[in-house]
Amino acid sequence: MRLRQLHLGDATTFAIVALVACGFVSLLRIGDGGTTLISIGPYLQRVLIFSFVQAGLSTLLSLGLGIALALALARRQFPGKEALLTFLGTTMVIPTIVAVFAVLAVYGRNGWVAQSLKSLGWTGSISIFGYPGILIAHVFLNAPFVAKVTLDGLNLVPAEQWRLATSLGFSSGQIFRHLDWPALRADLPGLAILVFLLCFKSFAIVLALGGGPSRATLEVAIYEALKVDLDFARAAWLALLQVAICVIIALALHGVVSRPPAATTFRGPMQRVDAADYRLKILDSVILLFGLLFLGPLALSVLVGLGSIPDILDLDLVGALMTSLTIAAIAGSLACSLALAIGAAVRHHRIAQASPRWAALLDLVPSALLAIPPFALTAGLFLLIRPWIDQARIGLILLPVVNGLGALPFAYRYIAPRLMQAEERYGRLSESLGMRGLARLKIVDWPMVQRPLASAFALTAALSFGDFGIIALFGGPKLRTLPYLLYERLGAYRFEEASALGLIILTVAFLLAQVSSRLSHAHD
Amino acid sequence: MLTIENCRLTWPDFTADYSLTIDEGTLCAVAGPSGGGKTTLLHMIAGFETPECGRLTYRGRNLLPLPPSQRPVAIVFQDHNLFPHLSVAENVALGLRPSLRLSAAEMTAVLEMLDAVGLRSYDRRKPGDMSGGQRQRVALARALISGRPLIVLDEPFSSLDPQLRRDMIRLVDTLRRKRNVTVIMSIHTPEDVADVAEQMVLIIDGKVAVNGSPAKVVSCIYDRGSSAKPTS
Repeated sequence: MRLRQLHLGDATTFAIVALVACGFVSLLRIGDGGTTLISIGPYLQRVLIFSFVQAGLSTLLSLGLGIALALALARRQFPGKEALLTFLGTTMVIPTIVAVFAVLAVYGRNGWVAQSLKSLGWTGSISIFGYPGILIAHVFLNAPFVAKVTLDGLNLVPAEQWRLATSLGFSSGQIFRHLDWPALRADLPGLAILVFLLCFKSFAIVLALGGGPSRATLEVAIYEALKVDLDFARAAWLALLQVAICVIIALALHGVVSRPPAATTFRGPMQRVDAADYRLKILDSVILLFGLLFLGPLALSVLVGLGSIPDILDLDLVGALMTSLTIAAIAGSLACSLALAIGAAVRHHRIAQASPRWAALLDLVPSALLAIPPFALTAGLFLLIRPWIDQARIGLILLPVVNGLGALPFAYRYIAPRLMQAEERYGRLSESLGMRGLARLKIVDWPMVQRPLASAFALTAALSFGDFGIIALFGGPKLRTLPYLLYERLGAYRFEEASALGLIILTVAFLLAQVSSRLSHAHD
Repeated sequence: MLTIENCRLTWPDFTADYSLTIDEGTLCAVAGPSGGGKTTLLHMIAGFETPECGRLTYRGRNLLPLPPSQRPVAIVFQDHNLFPHLSVAENVALGLRPSLRLSAAEMTAVLEMLDAVGLRSYDRRKPGDMSGGQRQRVALARALISGRPLIVLDEPFSSLDPQLRRDMIRLVDTLRRKRNVTVIMSIHTPEDVADVAEQMVLIIDGKVAVNGSPAKVVSCIYDRGSSAKPTS
């Protein structure tokens, strides 16, 4: 039997798998062994039911609003549409802690809605904690993302089919049935599972807006086990359960995602024939107005912080900003390097070694990382390296490492396809010219990969910059990121300072996301 | 008769100006270099492009104010003619009723049309399970069943191999004679239609450069030199 040639990317993948496995093993070993899933049965049942119900409802509402918005945007042209589409395209990087702030600022006890009602003479009180707050925040974060993805799908309907629909005299209903619905149906299963997964694993939103320990997702339960109860074994069991559930969901995602081939026949934006239907005009106006009223105040709430920026200009802010930028830069570099190595290994095994199964297995690793609970991994790694590293510095090491691993799936999706494309286009030519190693990297791969690499770096840095995850474990006077500072200000009810911090975080994340988007759409 | 008189269309980088007549029941082939304006001419006839000025009439009726669905024109494109989620029979039936609520007689007509294009036994298949030539035959069947007297074919067989392309052109010729429809077809290789087309038009830079019998146009193409020489 021919020995498989080991690639640098193989070693990288093994290292990632070993790191994750070591984290889990150390967590289980340090636990007292008394806690099992059965012993926390009623608690676990409550956590699971809540996790599934809130994720299911969030998914339904996000898909409903997102698809309605996408259809309305596909049919209508209006001033400011381009700006709106840019906003929709960058909502993926809105930090969850900023979304928490936005929900409290608009719908909280003293939020805009409550104040407006009071000015009208209403004397009751509003409580946003629990399902309402969680659902609003999840829909705010996910519906624009759904709208953007489905709108892109709708725009892939070939120009010829629109002309045929015009020529055959399709009604609005027939256009939906024969053109829109097939395009939506291709995206729906994958989107539904992705949104469900994101909401199922939700942490910051549920922690801040859940309203008490009775409302916890598995991710929050793991955090509480580690931070509050110091029950490492419980954290490990909960983490393994979450991994199992997420892997099943992720595998389903891998199987069902499909998209019809993109049409390349567009000469310009198509004028949809159903745009003239007055009933659809009314429906679209209602949808766009609702979307504007729902998303607008949440997005604008952060802008209120503009006036409070002078109040937060102190050393705390500068320190937190520098820490956040450093962690984001290291996490982004790590995610891109790992993605490059794994992508090259997948390409090597798929084409040069003709081992498609091994390549497919490697290809799954970045996606599988989405299922790993960062708290459990961080705690396990913390316990593992604690004997050798100064405890005050552990957070600074683990934050970029875990953030980088968390961002790897996104970086991989940008980089790996271009590596494969470089091979398909120039692989045989390179072989025939005897181009290998650095020469090949410089002449063949680098020109094709540099833009997606830069784009992936900007996106992953944006995701890491706004992340409020494991900083919740390590955060304190000695280690503060901007999202942690925002969380502290929210906890102290200093909303004006929180809004200013939210504005800074959002601005940096949006700028990075814009850089990423422009690079990814630029021509080679 | 289809009459096109001084129909002018302008873009920042391209201007087209067409004048042409096509007799009833003929097969008119439209040849010319890529980017020369063949598709623009066909799309104007079908109603997807609107000229700034000029007249477009069929049997004396002005077509310009009519939307594509009300013109006496059915169209077949090079690609993406079929809806992938519908069966072959349903794709053909769209030419009769976009609602797909067919009477028994209409269903029979659909099957007969599939029979005419040699695909009777494929009625339940999805387009994804068929070859490129078979898919174009389904599109042709839909255009014919619509009962519209003008069939516009926009490079419908360019992606097929030469033999299959010639077979398809013969099928088009047979069916248009049987049903007495006028066919306007843009092509890449004028030789393919030389023995079936009654009329051929050479379009260069958005204008009718030569109009006449296929033999006349083909010889003009070769006389013009390699820049206008068709490719196979």
